[in-house]
Amino acid sequence: MNGWLGRLFHKRRTEKRLDAELRFHLEQKVQDYVAAGFSAEEAGRRANLAFGGLEQVKQDCRDARVENHVQDFLRDFQYAFRSLAKDRRFALVAVFALALGIGATTVMFSVLYAVVVDPFPYRDFRRAVVYELRKLDAPRDDAVRYHYTMPEFLAIREQNDVFEEIVGNYQLDVLYSDGKGTRRFLGGYVTANGFEFLGVPPLLGRYFSPGDGKPGTPYVFMMNFTLWQAEFNGDPRILGKTFFLNGKPRTLIGIMPKRFNGYGSSLWFPMDLSPGADGTVFPVKDPTLIWMCARLKKGVGRPRASADVDAIVHRLAQAQGNPEEIYPKRFQMFTRTLLDFVVGDFKGTLYALLAAVSMLLLIACGNVANLLLARATVREREIAVRASMGASPARLVRQLLVESFALAAAACLAGCLFAYLGLKGLVAILPRGPIPEETIIGMNPAVLVFALSIAVLATLVCGVAPALHSVRGNSLLALAGSGKGSGGGFRHGKLRSGLVIAEVALSIVLLTGAGLMMRSFFALTHVDLGFKPERMLYARISTAEHGPFSYETAAKKKVFYEQVVQRVARLPGVVSATISVGVPPLDGAGSEISILGKSRSADWVSAVDLCSERYFQTLGLRLVRGRTFSNTDIDSALHLAVINEEFARIYFGAENPLGQKIKFNVFDQLPETPHDAYFEVVGVVSNFRNRGVLERPAPEAFLPHSITGFEDRTILATTAVEPRSLLAAVQREIWSVDSSAAVTQSGSIQDFLSEFAYTKPQFGVIATSTFAGIGLALVLVGIFSVMAYTVALQTHEIGIRIALGAQRRDVLTMVLRQGLRLISAGMLIGVMASLGLTRLLSRQLPGVSATDPLTYSGVVLLFLAVGLTACMLPARRASRCDPLVALHYE
Amino acid sequence: MEQGKAEVLKGTLDMLILKVVALGPIHGYAISQRIQQISKDLFQVPEGSLYPALHRLEDRGWLQAKWEETETGRDAKFYSLTRAGKKRLSAEMVNWERLSEAVALILSTAE
Repeated sequence: MNGWLGRLFHKRRTEKRLDAELRFHLEQKVQDYVAAGFSAEEAGRRANLAFGGLEQVKQDCRDARVENHVQDFLRDFQYAFRSLAKDRRFALVAVFALALGIGATTVMFSVLYAVVVDPFPYRDFRRAVVYELRKLDAPRDDAVRYHYTMPEFLAIREQNDVFEEIVGNYQLDVLYSDGKGTRRFLGGYVTANGFEFLGVPPLLGRYFSPGDGKPGTPYVFMMNFTLWQAEFNGDPRILGKTFFLNGKPRTLIGIMPKRFNGYGSSLWFPMDLSPGADGTVFPVKDPTLIWMCARLKKGVGRPRASADVDAIVHRLAQAQGNPEEIYPKRFQMFTRTLLDFVVGDFKGTLYALLAAVSMLLLIACGNVANLLLARATVREREIAVRASMGASPARLVRQLLVESFALAAAACLAGCLFAYLGLKGLVAILPRGPIPEETIIGMNPAVLVFALSIAVLATLVCGVAPALHSVRGNSLLALAGSGKGSGGGFRHGKLRSGLVIAEVALSIVLLTGAGLMMRSFFALTHVDLGFKPERMLYARISTAEHGPFSYETAAKKKVFYEQVVQRVARLPGVVSATISVGVPPLDGAGSEISILGKSRSADWVSAVDLCSERYFQTLGLRLVRGRTFSNTDIDSALHLAVINEEFARIYFGAENPLGQKIKFNVFDQLPETPHDAYFEVVGVVSNFRNRGVLERPAPEAFLPHSITGFEDRTILATTAVEPRSLLAAVQREIWSVDSSAAVTQSGSIQDFLSEFAYTKPQFGVIATSTFAGIGLALVLVGIFSVMAYTVALQTHEIGIRIALGAQRRDVLTMVLRQGLRLISAGMLIGVMASLGLTRLLSRQLPGVSATDPLTYSGVVLLFLAVGLTACMLPARRASRCDPLVALHYE
Repeated sequence: MEQGKAEVLKGTLDMLILKVVALGPIHGYAISQRIQQISKDLFQVPEGSLYPALHRLEDRGWLQAKWEETETGRDAKFYSLTRAGKKRLSAEMVNWERLSEAVALILSTAE
C-alpha cells in the first residue's frame, strides 16, 4: 500500500527508495556534465555542488510526509519519558504538585456536583418550591413557619394560578403491632399525588393514585427501602399483605427504591382532603401542620409565585379575623426552591471551598510551570544544540509540550487516585444536616472528564510558556554561554519570580481564609454558654403511645415525670436530674407576654420553659435575686416564675422584678394550660445561651412543669461519668414507670452541640486548612526551587565576591534578601486580595471579623518564617561556595 | 545561482511540476530538465526544492509514483498525475491567470 500508514511500517524500504531516487538524479546530472565535456571528476564535483546538502534534501523530503510526523510524535514521547526518568526528582515533584491540585479540585467538584447539580432523583425539582410565612415585624424579619393549616392548603390548591401541581404532607408516629410487641416508626400522610409529583418509580408494587385515601376506599400504605430492609429483611413477599398500623389494618401496595427520601418518613399513608377522609384529623392540636411543596408552571418566576400565594393567604387570614396564634400582625409569603430549603447556606460554604481549591490548582500549575522553566533554562544549551543541528522551532516546542503532557497524564492518574481517597475522607466529615439524604457523592463520569480537562489545561498553561521561551532565546548566545543559560536567564528569572510572587499571594489568601475559619470555629466552640455542657445527658420522652392525648391532664403528666426524674436521679453516676421541655442551648417556646400594671407592647416576647425544682442546679445557673422553686411550689403547681437576667433587664430595668406578675399569652390558646393566668416572679437567675450557640441569650421565664399537661418533656441530668454510658439505664428507668413511653432522642449535650452547631463549620475548617496546608507546601517547593536556581546562576558572581573578600554572612544575607523581596511582594498582594475576598466569606464566619488582625498577622508571621526557611538552604549553600570551584564552574 | 537564471517564482513550483507531469509519466531529473528547457533556461529548479515538493505533492495525493525502467534500462521513480492532481492543476492555473492579469493591469496603468 502506498498510503502513509504503509510507509510508516516499511520505513527502511521508504528510506532506501528515497536514497535511490536522489542518487539516480545525481548520476543523470553527472552524465550530462560529462556529455558537456567535463572530466568525470569535475562533473561529479559540479553535480554535488548543485545538489547542495544531500542529507538536507532527504530531511526536507521526509518532513513533507505525514507518517514522519507521527513517527516524530512517538519519538517525542519516548524522548520525554527518557528525559523525565533521568530527572526523577523533578518529575516526581511536578507530578505530585499537579496531582494534588487535580485531586483536590476533583473532590470539591464532586461534592458540589452531588449537592447542587444532582442532589435529588426527583422530576423537575428545580421548579419545586416551598413556601415560607415570614413575619415582617421588629426586631427583624423572620421565618415563622413552613407548615400550613388545612384551610390554607385547600385555599392555595384551589385558588392559585401559578402551580402545575401541589402536594402536602405531615408526619406522625406510627405504631406497628405484629402480635409480639409494638414498635414505633416515623410515618407521614401524603396527598395522593405526592409520589407522581416526585416522579420516582416504586421499586416494587405501585405508588398512590388519586383514588387512594378517599372515604370508603381500603386503607393502603407504602414503605421506604430502609425500613423494608431493616424490619423485613427485604422480603418481597410482604407486598400486598395487611399490617396493623395505629390500630387499623392497612395493605402494603408499594416499596420505594433506596435513593428516595421524599417526605422524610419510613411509611406513607395516602391523604385525601375531602371531609371525613382518613388523615384529616390531625394527631396534634397544632393547626399548622401541613408541609407543602409545589411545582411552578413553566415560565412562572418566584416573585410571581410568592405574590399569588401571598394574596390567597392574606384573604384567608382576613376572612378568619387574623387569629393571632397563626398569623403575625404583618406577614408575607415567600418562596424558596426545594433545593435551597434543604441545602440552604451550606451551598455558600461549598462555593467558598471550590474557590479555595481553584486557587490551590493555580498554585500547583504555577509550581509546575516554575519547575519546567527551571528545567528549560538549564536545558537551554541542549535545545540550542538541537536547533543548530536542524530541528525546527515548531519541532522543539512540540517536543517540550509532549514532555509536559506526559507529566500531566501521570499527574491525572495520580490525581484521580488522590481524589478517590480524598472523597472517602471528605464524605466522612461532611455534615449530614444540609445535604439531602438521596445525594450520592462519588466520582462520576462528569467529574473524571473534569479532571482530564484540568490536566490538559494544566499542560497548556505549564508547557507553553517555557517552550516558547526556550525557542525564542537566541541559540548562539546560549551556545556561547556557560551552559547554565546566562543568555535568556534574565528574562526567565523575571517570569519565574512573577510566578513565585503569584503563588505566594494565592497561598496567603488560602491561609487567611483557613485562619479565619479556624478563628470562627474556635470562637464558636469557646462561647460561654452560661451552663456546662460537659457531662450532661438529655432524654426526650414521648408518651404518645397511649394515643395522641394520653397523660393529657397536668396531674397525670406530673406524676409520670416526677417518678421518672426521681428514678433517674437515684441512678449511680447521676449527680442531679431535672425535668424540662427544651434541650439547651435550644430552650423554651416563644410567647408574647403581658405584665400586670404595664400597658402591653406588641413586641413583648419571651421564651418559656417548664421545669422541676432541680433545674437551676442541674444547669449550674447562678441565683441573682430571690429564690428558685421549692418542692412544694412544683407539687402544688403554683403560678410562680423564675426569670433570667435578660428578662429582668429588658422588662423591668431598674425596677425590682420580684413580685411582678407576668402572663404568657401562648397559654390562652393551648389545651390543658392555665388560661388568663399571671405568674409571680420569685427569682432571677443568670443567663445562658437559650437560642443557639451564637445568639445572645433571649429573655426567658421558667415555670413549674406541673401547671400544664401540654407538651412532651425532657430529662436533663448531670453525671459523674461519661453521660453516654448511662443512656441505657435511663431508658430502663423510664420503662419501669411506663413500658410504653418511648425515648425519642437522647445523648450527651456535648454530642448534641456537635451535631447541631459544630459539624458544618468543622467541615469548613478541615477542608480549608487541608487546602491551605497543601498550598503552603507547594509554595515552599516553589520558593526553594527558584532560590536554588538563582543561586546556581550566581555561583560565578558569588565566587568573585568571596574571592574579593566578602564575608560568608554577607553572601547569606544577600541571598536571603533576594528571597525576602519575592516573599514580601507576594505577601503584600496576598494580604490585599484577602482583605477584599474574605468579606465575601463573612456570612460563613460567625464570631470573627473578616479583617481579624490576629489572623492576618499570624498568617504573615507564619509565612515569613516558613518562606525564609525555604530560602535558607540555597542561601547557606551559596555562602559555603568555594571561590576556586565557583570560578572554574564553566 | 548563475547570472540570468531565476529561481522558480515562489508558490508556482507546485503548479509547474503538476503541469509538466500532466504531459505523461516522468522522473524527477527529467522534470527539472523539462522546466529548464521550456522556460528557455530562465527557470532553474534546485534539487533541494524539487524533491521535497514532489514528496509533498505525492503525500497530498496529487501525484502518484511508480518505479519503472528508463530508456537506458535504469530503475527510476516515475511520477504521474492523479485525478485530484488534475483538478488541482486546473484550479491553480485559473488562479495564476487571474493573478498575472491583475499584475499586468497594474503595471500597464502605472506607466
